[in-house]
Amino acid sequence: MRFVSKNLPRFLCASASILLLAAALNFVVDPLQLFRPSKLFAAMYSADTRMQDAGLIRSQDFDTAFMGTSLAIHFRQRDIDRILGGRSLKLSMTGSSSREQSFVLEAAMARRPKRVVWQLDDWIFRDTPEIDSDVYLPSGLYRRTAAGLAGYLFSGQMARESLWILARSLPPLQPAVARLTSDLVFKFPLSDVDDINSLPPDYDVAGSYNAGKALAAYRYITDPARSRYLADDYNYEAMVRAFERDAIGLIANNPDVVFDIYFPPYSILQFVAMRDFSPRALKAVYDFTDYAFPRLLQFPNVRLYDFRAVQEVTHDLGNYGDVIHHSPTIDLKVLSWLAEGKYRVEPSAPVASLERLKAQVEAYRLEQ
Amino acid sequence: MLFNSHLFIFLFLPVVLAGYFALGRSSNLAPVIWLALASLAFYAIGNWQYVVLLLASIAFNYSVGYFLIARKLRPRTRFAVLTAGVAGDLAVLGIFKYAGFLAANFNAVFSTDFVVHILLPVGISFYTFTQIAFLVDAYRGQVARYALPHYALFVTYFPHLIAGPILHHRDMIPQFERAETKRPDPHLILCGLIIFAIGLFKKTCLADAIQPLVGPAFGPGSPTFDQAWIGALAYTFQLYFDFSGYSDMAIGISLMFGIFLPLNFNSPYKATSIVDFWRRWHMTLSQFLRDYLYIPLGGNRRGPVWRYVNLVITMLLGGLWHGAAWTFVAWGALHGAYLCINHAWNRFGPEVAPRLRPVVTFAGAVLTFLAVVVAWVFFRADDIDSAVYVLARMADPTRLALGRAEIFNLAFIAFYAALAWIAPNTQAIMGYDHARRAVGDSLREARLRPWFLYATSAVLALGILGIQQHSEFIYFRF
Repeated sequence: MRFVSKNLPRFLCASASILLLAAALNFVVDPLQLFRPSKLFAAMYSADTRMQDAGLIRSQDFDTAFMGTSLAIHFRQRDIDRILGGRSLKLSMTGSSSREQSFVLEAAMARRPKRVVWQLDDWIFRDTPEIDSDVYLPSGLYRRTAAGLAGYLFSGQMARESLWILARSLPPLQPAVARLTSDLVFKFPLSDVDDINSLPPDYDVAGSYNAGKALAAYRYITDPARSRYLADDYNYEAMVRAFERDAIGLIANNPDVVFDIYFPPYSILQFVAMRDFSPRALKAVYDFTDYAFPRLLQFPNVRLYDFRAVQEVTHDLGNYGDVIHHSPTIDLKVLSWLAEGKYRVEPSAPVASLERLKAQVEAYRLEQ
Repeated sequence: MLFNSHLFIFLFLPVVLAGYFALGRSSNLAPVIWLALASLAFYAIGNWQYVVLLLASIAFNYSVGYFLIARKLRPRTRFAVLTAGVAGDLAVLGIFKYAGFLAANFNAVFSTDFVVHILLPVGISFYTFTQIAFLVDAYRGQVARYALPHYALFVTYFPHLIAGPILHHRDMIPQFERAETKRPDPHLILCGLIIFAIGLFKKTCLADAIQPLVGPAFGPGSPTFDQAWIGALAYTFQLYFDFSGYSDMAIGISLMFGIFLPLNFNSPYKATSIVDFWRRWHMTLSQFLRDYLYIPLGGNRRGPVWRYVNLVITMLLGGLWHGAAWTFVAWGALHGAYLCINHAWNRFGPEVAPRLRPVVTFAGAVLTFLAVVVAWVFFRADDIDSAVYVLARMADPTRLALGRAEIFNLAFIAFYAALAWIAPNTQAIMGYDHARRAVGDSLREARLRPWFLYATSAVLALGILGIQQHSEFIYFRF
């Protein structure tokens, strides 16, 4: 029995030692660079931006925060810096809600950026859970709460990443480990911050962005079995509520920061699908623009751009991978339009671009 | 509260254990009350609005049980009391679990627009079944009178309250009454910790890790042949490691209190027939359905045809027990059909020559596994159409992706399959014998090798390190 009695504390001590060892490893290697920028170890990055942004905000130098959804996910920071000037940090998150974007931008404000480039979709303004109930965004890492940091340090997955980064930092192992690093197995496979969600140089752009893809996506979303989903996230009251809380709240609280806000150039098919299969959603889009544009223009620190009616882009379906996502070529165009101040919404005619969009949507006929 | 949470592991469990054994020094009843209160607190965290329902259910069933056990009633009155008790339990279950389902079907048939929004109280299926068994046994005269604290603890006992195993009063209450269970036994605590560690590892490191492979097949996209199979197989293993992990944790936690819970899994994917599968999967539910549904329906006593009818009815209701949806009915119907075919084969099939038995056994195991995977598609899908769509994809090898991700995912699934098919199960590793109330006999002796102790301590540490936020057990929904 005495033997058994000794085994219990041994067992518990051994478990506790392993836990502490993992936490120490995570603290020292710090894959997210949450405590310090990587110097001793290879800096590695994750495409999971909801998590990665918490570390980027702390470890990177920037004066421009770049935010958006998947529409702004492929931009390269080097392009942003080259075309817009300054030093940017891309914080875009796929499928993010306005609450998530606003929360991450608020955290970035602690680093006192001069400018925010904010790609807005109208559907990001929707009813979403409180940020602390958001299962995808680790709010504790942004707020640096004890629970958030403990969750990071006492994470087995993070310990595995730490070990791998450690191995990658040892010169004899570096080439082999670098070759074996795969995004299928590891959460931090990227060695260049500019590569986070950017398309690789050998990416088949023509194969991924073409009229065939855009039309196939149009047929998919307008299939009778799925067309009801077109109206998802288009509830006018909820949109206005979220817009006031997340966008206006952030802009009003940061009067010294310039907000370059743009609505991206969706393909005309997105609006045509709504026109023909969900008029209620299209009305919500129009009504929301009617409300949001004049409201945004009340703020002197806002420069508003509407690219949704840029016909030479939105009507050329070859620019699209589906009905909304445009090619990297259009990414660069968006940046140059922002740099030139093109398609800027003027306070004297806040809904002029909306009227143009309405006319285009009304007139467009899809060839069968 | 979740077993796979830091709050439970580092605060709730140690405090409840300490209180239980501290009170056990001076009393045999106080630890029972303490454990019942702790169980209610466990339930209340996250489900406080349903505590009253749980208490009302206990009071109702205890009262009905009192009439059946303690009062001398005429047979017809006894039957009426039993009927009222079971009907009351089923009515509550029906309202909270099936009202929305019935309303939706009524609306579909009669084009009406009834709206029923009732949230499902966590664990209601488990504590209702547990108590129905108690009432039926009380009616049969197989129950001694129990003290209220012991009965309340039997129903609320937190290791099993949310997702089983489905306990039997004859198994549990005598254990609660024993004074020895209130004295800490380092051996049982160590074995309990190790079993808990294995269960936690299954949940946080295995089930949660394979879960991302499931969604793409069952989502709005259009999976290819290989992607559909990856999704279905991934769900097959996710469900097993999730639920058997939970059951291991429940058994391990309970063992720390000196209480032996029944086994719920016995390597089900090693089954060589569907009959064998149901002896290995969710064993306490199978036993419940057999004793309180299949046998009362007549079982096989009224001839082979009725046997098949009763099997199908039992499995249909077993399916519906899991959830108020046609997908669960389809899942139950499939398993009912499988069982009928299995029994018919046993009765009418050809005699297998001894030299061919290994081949036939292997073929039986493969066929059983495939049949189970097909049925899980219904279990997982949002609706019947989605399930049929996924199955159609699984039957269409002309559309194949087989890219880098698919190959990696298949290798990942092969690892899980190897674990499920080759590795010994928890009770085999630990020598857990519920009937003999024995566990870890080899650990009790000094023959324990240090590597086993340190390996299992690493399993506990890895299980804790694998804890993610918001990772519920699949069976919490049922």
